[in-house]
Amino acid sequence: MAFYWCASCGGCEEAVVDLAEDILKVVAAVEFVFWPVAMDFKVKDVEALQDGDIAVSFINGAIRTGEQEHMAKLLRKKSGLVVAFGACAHLGGTPGLANFINRKTIFDWVYLNAPSVYNPDGILPQQKTMVEEGELTLPEFYDTVCTLDQVIDVDYYLPGCAPPPDLIMKAVEAILSGNLPEKGTVLAPDRALCDSCKRRDTKPEKAVIKEIKRVHEVLLDPVKCFLDQSVICLGPATRDGCGERCINANMPCRGCFGPTSRVVDQGAKFLSGLASIIDANDEQGIKKVIDSIADPAGIFYYYALPASMLRRKR
Amino acid sequence: MGFLCNWCSYGGADAAGSQRKIYAPNVRVIRVMCTGRVEPEFVLKAFQSGADGVLILGCHPGDCHYKEGNYKALRRYYLLKKVLSQFGIEEERLRLDWVSATEADKFVDTINDMVATIKALGPLALSIPALAKGVSADFQEDTLV
Amino acid sequence: MKSKVGVYICSCGTNISDNLDFDELVSFTSSLEDVAYAKVHSLFCSEDGKNFLADDIIKESPDRVVIAACSPKEHEKTFRDVLQKAGVNPYLFQMVNIREQVAWVTDDKAAATEKAKAYIRAAVRRVSLNEPLEKKEIACNTDAVVIGAGPAGMESALLLAKAGRKVYLVEKNSFIGGRPARYEDVFPKMECASCMLEPGMDEVLHNEHIELFTCSEVRDITGFLGNFSVNIKKKATYVDKEKCIGCGTCYDACPVKVKNEFDYNLSERKAIYVPYTGALPNVPVIDEKNCLRMKGEDVICKEAFDLGLITQEEYEKNKTRECSLCKQACMFDAINYDDKEEIVLKDAGGIIVATGFELFDPAVLFQFGYGKIPEVYTSLEFERILSQTGPTAGKLLMKDSREPESVAIVHCVGSRDNNHHEYCSGVCCLYALKFARLIKKHLPSTSIYHIYADWCVPGKDNQAFLDSVKAEGNIRFIHTSLPMRADIMQEDANINILCTDVSGKKQEIFADMVILCPAMVPSKDTPALSNLLGITKSTDGFFAEGHTKLAPVSSNIEGIYIAGCAQGPKDIQGSVAQGAAAAGQVLSTLVPGRKLELEAASAEIDENSCSGCMTCIGLCPYKAITFDKEKKVSVINAALCKGCGTCVAACPSGSIKGKHFTDQQIFAEIEEVLK
Repeated sequence: MAFYWCASCGGCEEAVVDLAEDILKVVAAVEFVFWPVAMDFKVKDVEALQDGDIAVSFINGAIRTGEQEHMAKLLRKKSGLVVAFGACAHLGGTPGLANFINRKTIFDWVYLNAPSVYNPDGILPQQKTMVEEGELTLPEFYDTVCTLDQVIDVDYYLPGCAPPPDLIMKAVEAILSGNLPEKGTVLAPDRALCDSCKRRDTKPEKAVIKEIKRVHEVLLDPVKCFLDQSVICLGPATRDGCGERCINANMPCRGCFGPTSRVVDQGAKFLSGLASIIDANDEQGIKKVIDSIADPAGIFYYYALPASMLRRKR
Repeated sequence: MGFLCNWCSYGGADAAGSQRKIYAPNVRVIRVMCTGRVEPEFVLKAFQSGADGVLILGCHPGDCHYKEGNYKALRRYYLLKKVLSQFGIEEERLRLDWVSATEADKFVDTINDMVATIKALGPLALSIPALAKGVSADFQEDTLV
Repeated sequence: MKSKVGVYICSCGTNISDNLDFDELVSFTSSLEDVAYAKVHSLFCSEDGKNFLADDIIKESPDRVVIAACSPKEHEKTFRDVLQKAGVNPYLFQMVNIREQVAWVTDDKAAATEKAKAYIRAAVRRVSLNEPLEKKEIACNTDAVVIGAGPAGMESALLLAKAGRKVYLVEKNSFIGGRPARYEDVFPKMECASCMLEPGMDEVLHNEHIELFTCSEVRDITGFLGNFSVNIKKKATYVDKEKCIGCGTCYDACPVKVKNEFDYNLSERKAIYVPYTGALPNVPVIDEKNCLRMKGEDVICKEAFDLGLITQEEYEKNKTRECSLCKQACMFDAINYDDKEEIVLKDAGGIIVATGFELFDPAVLFQFGYGKIPEVYTSLEFERILSQTGPTAGKLLMKDSREPESVAIVHCVGSRDNNHHEYCSGVCCLYALKFARLIKKHLPSTSIYHIYADWCVPGKDNQAFLDSVKAEGNIRFIHTSLPMRADIMQEDANINILCTDVSGKKQEIFADMVILCPAMVPSKDTPALSNLLGITKSTDGFFAEGHTKLAPVSSNIEGIYIAGCAQGPKDIQGSVAQGAAAAGQVLSTLVPGRKLELEAASAEIDENSCSGCMTCIGLCPYKAITFDKEKKVSVINAALCKGCGTCVAACPSGSIKGKHFTDQQIFAEIEEVLK
């Protein structure tokens, strides 16, 4: 088994650790051949393997540098199965929000314009540079963040930011027993979050949206449905299976599990559902409600921008 | 790309035909039963598939054959426009309007107007990257770091 | 999966072939993947064309069919029928409009050809994704519930009964006949209202198919077209309809006198009463609020004895008990103090709402003096004064029993007034003329004033009616502008009326009696009934008709119809016409032995996919979506779904399938047509 991280925060690696005692079951059944965060294997160790030697590679993180792309392709070559692990690999994740800007904007800010930057000579990182000892190279930093399956062929997806331990165990057990569903399946229930959310029973049957408030503008009731409190919750457009960790911490769902299999663009579907129940039929009334949503694209595509139909800002 | 509802705007487009009114040929119409069926995914799909502009034409408010479908379309339209502008897609590329089954002239004017607007804006030229910029799809051994 | 798509391209005479490169189109089509063949005909919609199509389909047996011709709005149905007869499911077919939307509107032949190619290519791809939908049917109940026994409701009930349908006629009052039961004569022919209504009312009471529930209300309904379940609350009336013969002895015996609401409090009635002489059904009811027994008072016997209403013997018999004077007086044992409210459940296929109107309360327009000045009346109050069954037995008398020497009639009170009701009620000018005629009949020398803004007298006989009343003389017409404003004040024994006519001149008149013609407004149960039944109201508060011109008696809910003044102000003729129309709807939609055909291209929720978020429920204008509280999923009633697709688009988890317009089908069409 291999475990690799691309543009990620490390939370997915921690999710594996979160398996706690169950990790011993996994460790007993498999041999890790590559896990940068935990073990000291080198890339050449992977290159030395035969194609298909790795039974399964769990790759987390989005693809946004040349190195990540390279490693994804390398692991694909050497693996029987590749599982996109976590929201970033599955959908692009929060790093995907960088698709609203581009490399130049990022570099200008980080290296030149941010308030705490002192860079009077305007030095920017380069991909190649000559030093005494020879040429040094850095991975190319791409304009666009991609999901894992936009770069390599992916067999399964474990959704979530991070995938919860029970889902991880189920996936590992399925792989070990060979009892796998159709290729391309997302390994989580195929219904939206509302299905298991305790707050659903507080929802009125004919809910309408009269305005939208942000989470810091409202004292959130821990029992009532968030949408009923005029707060955006992506639950209706997000796959179930996370155990409502955010909901139970009195925060609305941000959509990290991505859409159900019946939906192509999570943000667009959520937009449709939310707008449909706006309580107005005229331009003025509708716009008034919409104006109360600060940054709709950012909220609707919080995790899934690279996986969306438009993928990035033009 | 035009999404026209069966009862009003599609009828209006047909009326333009019966009256032999000539209009710009670069519109592709898809008939739905009601503009209430038109959802953001359709609009995005149209842009993704090469449309430079999307037009949604429905029954006048109050006249929807299915009572309120056009109002739902209107609500989605305004929110989608806001989101599209965040994606750098000019607001004028998406337009929603009302054309009744007898308004042949309005249909023709709307099409011609939309085509003129889009021509002025230029092609949408969405470069949906198959991959990140500049890297070939084939794996090459010698680009190892 | 490869489909064998058969494509038929029509040249429509030369309509299509003249305006694009027809041969190129045909050869392009033949070259498309999945297209088994592309055949042409000059006129597929003709008998010859249809026969060719049918025979060819049987011969070639394609899996799917595409016909490129005129607009689907023109001939989709035609070709679907041909396909059905040829053994192909009519939904495995896509029609391409290359006439109205290509050939006829493009002057550049090359551009037209390209457009037609794109459309055919898209249709070929899309049709491969079409599913063979089957039309479903459900059984239906062919009986009806009619709410309201006024002219509209009675007409509906009678027509339905004539066709042998069972009708449950629910009337909230104790009498039938609606508002006209209060009128003496009706315009323009000045017919006797009760004579006019009598035969119909009689039939309603005696027809074996009509079950009449008076003092009853609809409390709840469930279900849908063809399958309604109606919950009717029957109030306790304490008088047995079967035993009572209507002799009236009981109300003579009752010692309680209260104001009679039927006469707008201008007269009195007893606690056991019929609202007016001749009310039908001729069975009294006990007013629980005022009946001493029901109130629990037993002092009555002493009072009655003191008043000489009962003998010593009766007093001795009754004095320690609750009043039972009416029961004792009744020789048919028709009075039952143990009567209880009853809930009755009836099944019906259709519901007709004919709940009528009331009048705008002019008391809110202080200047008219209604409610303060005793001799200012509303039109309905004046109808009672004129009626032989009313407070003055039909004599035109003021409250102090004097005959009025002058009467002023003020039109448009609260009507055509943006602050109150902007619409014209359409009957007031006519009944105002009726009043003028009747006043003259009773008191020929009484002067009459019409303070009016316009004359609204449409219809065959009404202009002539106006002319003839005007010709009688001794009527002064004061033409004012809108909104109607007149300052009406009591000045000693007279009423002083000040108004401004259209030329701006102030007019002052004195009258003994003033009659106001207020706007007709929906009856006060309208909002509650609207909620209960789920039928919408328009901005003026009346029930909203499906379409102003083409669906005047339909509501937004299939199977529920509206008729009469419940739909909007109108005269008796209009109400009767709508009553008949609503009955017609029931008779033609719900036919014994025939099943209801359901829309095949409707929406369907997969209960394994639905998460119960309920986003869809409030979106359906036909109330076709309900929430199953046990399974915690939303469910679409296929009998009510019209296939608009609004819920399909809104579902955030993509769990609603819009049959024949699925996401996959439309995405395919979009992709292909833009290539």
